[in-house]
Amino acid sequence: MKKTESITTIDEVAPASRPAQNRWVQLLGFRNISAIYIGVLLFVIFAIVTPRTFLTPGTWLVLLDAQSITVLAAIAVLIPLVNGVFNLAIGAEVGFAVILVSVLQVNFNVPFGIAIPLAILVGAFIGLVSGLIVTKAKIDSFIATLGMSSILLAGLSFMSENRQIIGLQDGFRLFATGGLPLSLDNPNFKITNPVFIMLLVSFIVWYLLERTPVGRRMYAVGYNADGARLSGVNVDRLQIASLMAGGMIAALAGVLLASRINAGDPTVGPGLLLPALTAVFLGSTQFKGGRFNVWGTVLSVYVLAIGIKGLQLLGAQNWVSDLFNGVALLAAVGLSRWEATSKRGSAIRRALPFGRKKDKVEA
Amino acid sequence: MTDERGASPLVTITGMIKDFPGNRALDDVSLSVHSGEVVAVVGHNGSGKSTLVKILAGVYTSDGGTVELSSREGEQTELHIIHQDLGLASELNGIENLGITKYPGASAFAPFNKKKEREHALELISRFGEPFDVEVAISRLAPAQRSIIAIARALDGWLHPRNVLILDEPTEALHASEVRILFDAVKKLAAAGAGVIFISHRLDEVLEIADRVVILRDGKKVADEGVETLDHDKLVSYVTGVPIGVAEVGESHRRRGDVAMNVEGLAGSGLEGIDLTLYSGEVVGVAGVLGSGREALPAMLFGGTPSDAASFTLAGTSYDRRTPGESIRRGMAFVPGDRAKHGSVRPLTARENVTLTELKSLTNKMGAIDEKRERDLVVGLIDRYDVKPPRSEQVFAQFSGGNQQKLVFAKWLRNRPAVLLLEEPTQGVDIGAKQALYDAIDIAAAAGSAVLVCSSEAKELVRLCDRVLVLRNGRVAAELSGDQLTETRLVMEGYGLVNEGEL
Repeated sequence: MKKTESITTIDEVAPASRPAQNRWVQLLGFRNISAIYIGVLLFVIFAIVTPRTFLTPGTWLVLLDAQSITVLAAIAVLIPLVNGVFNLAIGAEVGFAVILVSVLQVNFNVPFGIAIPLAILVGAFIGLVSGLIVTKAKIDSFIATLGMSSILLAGLSFMSENRQIIGLQDGFRLFATGGLPLSLDNPNFKITNPVFIMLLVSFIVWYLLERTPVGRRMYAVGYNADGARLSGVNVDRLQIASLMAGGMIAALAGVLLASRINAGDPTVGPGLLLPALTAVFLGSTQFKGGRFNVWGTVLSVYVLAIGIKGLQLLGAQNWVSDLFNGVALLAAVGLSRWEATSKRGSAIRRALPFGRKKDKVEA
Repeated sequence: MTDERGASPLVTITGMIKDFPGNRALDDVSLSVHSGEVVAVVGHNGSGKSTLVKILAGVYTSDGGTVELSSREGEQTELHIIHQDLGLASELNGIENLGITKYPGASAFAPFNKKKEREHALELISRFGEPFDVEVAISRLAPAQRSIIAIARALDGWLHPRNVLILDEPTEALHASEVRILFDAVKKLAAAGAGVIFISHRLDEVLEIADRVVILRDGKKVADEGVETLDHDKLVSYVTGVPIGVAEVGESHRRRGDVAMNVEGLAGSGLEGIDLTLYSGEVVGVAGVLGSGREALPAMLFGGTPSDAASFTLAGTSYDRRTPGESIRRGMAFVPGDRAKHGSVRPLTARENVTLTELKSLTNKMGAIDEKRERDLVVGLIDRYDVKPPRSEQVFAQFSGGNQQKLVFAKWLRNRPAVLLLEEPTQGVDIGAKQALYDAIDIAAAAGSAVLVCSSEAKELVRLCDRVLVLRNGRVAAELSGDQLTETRLVMEGYGLVNEGEL
């Protein structure tokens, strides 16, 4: 129908006979990295509409810094989800760690150097409990983690007495706010520690999931637990481990969050569930053709954040982020389901007017 | 049987054809049922019985042929089908299950008349003998009582008796005494003028209840005879396609090695105590009708389902806490019957499926999978087993049934298992792939594997096996080898049709 047709006809060619040049075309194809194109599109739109606020480096560094914590939360959702386990307690887990690391410092005078690993250890323990409930008590992960979430929120309220905990130790603040300065005259121009931590965690998780036998088995468990079990995979152990890893990463995110706002705020954690879940599902439509994956998730967090940031700079109210995340979650899950069920071609591409029509006979 | 026999049939099926990728499940099958008549449809698994029922039920659309229902004096004949699983909601009680198919449209919002419902339910089931409690959950009823609820529901609200009832393997879960109740009910119904199609593979039951028997083999109708002219031997020869008295024996040039596996008193769900010894280099078959324990045995040996055993030794060492992972480490392999659910992870690629059972040998010093080594291995296996298309990166689900099974074989044979357990190894596989899989089994045995083949296909067992254990009611009922290992004997033993005197 359109001129663009000729560019991307490689999908029909057998992978074995696909020339290297076409591999690049496929790699950069809309189906594979649609979020990048959407992100660029959003960027251009907002850069034109609100250039004065949107195009300042300060905006970008803040975005990079703040969203790195969302990325960690999303990865904490991702790992169990690869194993076919929903972790809806992620927001509560982050919030719990925020309060725990604060309470330990303020009420019990534990040095932050000990409070931080302790909070992460507790995160692992929470994951272990969730994992045992899911695998041994055979309670569906959706219900199990929803229940866990409510219990953690209760514990969080109990510890914080629903008040901000202030007066954290001095050095603790630097944990999240320190970083690599980019300019000598303005100390606020820096890439902060959470960004580096996020990249490190992402890299480790990517390596484990996509390069090692453990990761391979995890994907197998997520797609077909029975089939994986009969291939010798210890399903229970992997699902428990995934929730424990998720719990640790969620706790790390909580610690960073507490350090960043320099207070134990009982309200900040739970809000992370929706953006994290959205990013993981949107991420699954990127790079790996329907598989949950780390880099797709990282990318999706930032693309969603650009969209929300732009709308906020345009003067939209705070609720726009909830609206945006909700719509994006439904769209992302819908698209990934649609892609999974449609036999050929890209659902996204077919849905968009500038996409290539594969069934040319119809036209 | 009744004076209406000569009149036009209630249902006439003509030239029914159904094609599946790779094979024709039904090939020009015609069949008619008259008022007052019980017609049995028998045949092996894969003969086309269930395909026929599914076409009549509207689950499948046929690729040719017609179904004609009689319409006389405004009495339109209806088809009422009772599927093998009965289709009851197991946590609802009898009354509620009987009501599921009623109350269309807005009447679904009218309140129940509880007393009337109860009376109606009891009236319905009392047609089949002693009434029982209809106010307990279906899951707490005896199997026969469940069947009665399902049949009563199918019969409820008939405007006239000239309808056709189709029963798909209705006696599968029943005891002999319960079968009697069911048969009485069916006979009463036929006597009132209904037509009955009775699908079964239990030949003795068929001879007892049917007026006429239609035999299917490989999707074709091979016989349509009144029951007066049939007996066991004739039925078996129709079902297997082997003439009476002809013995067809598989040849074996295999050499039996050491004991690979020895099991005593294996018991679990569906099995009541099995003794089994497998020698390396030999192929042992397991036969038996559905429910005999045949389908439960391999998963239990592998540790996929829980089981107890008095003694379980593998290669001379005791092996008590059986799990799939440990079994693989000890050199066992298991090709499950349900490829989609148990044998594979469909959304993963062929490569990822083939190597899933053992990844350690493919990792480098960093603990990562060496992708090149992995790909080379899988490409080699794809070439050896002639998988088409030869693409290691294609998603498993996108291969055809036969090629999927070749990949499953590649997955399990790549590490030369000491014990190879196969469940329905050629189910849903086209003829070409079937031969390739048989060759792979022969080669595995020649290389020293002890092979156990559990199959519902007698022909396959005769072709492959050195000896065959026939299971019945969770026990080994017979062991056949040498001259005795024939399709006819396997079928007879499986159905329990052999008289003591004949041995």
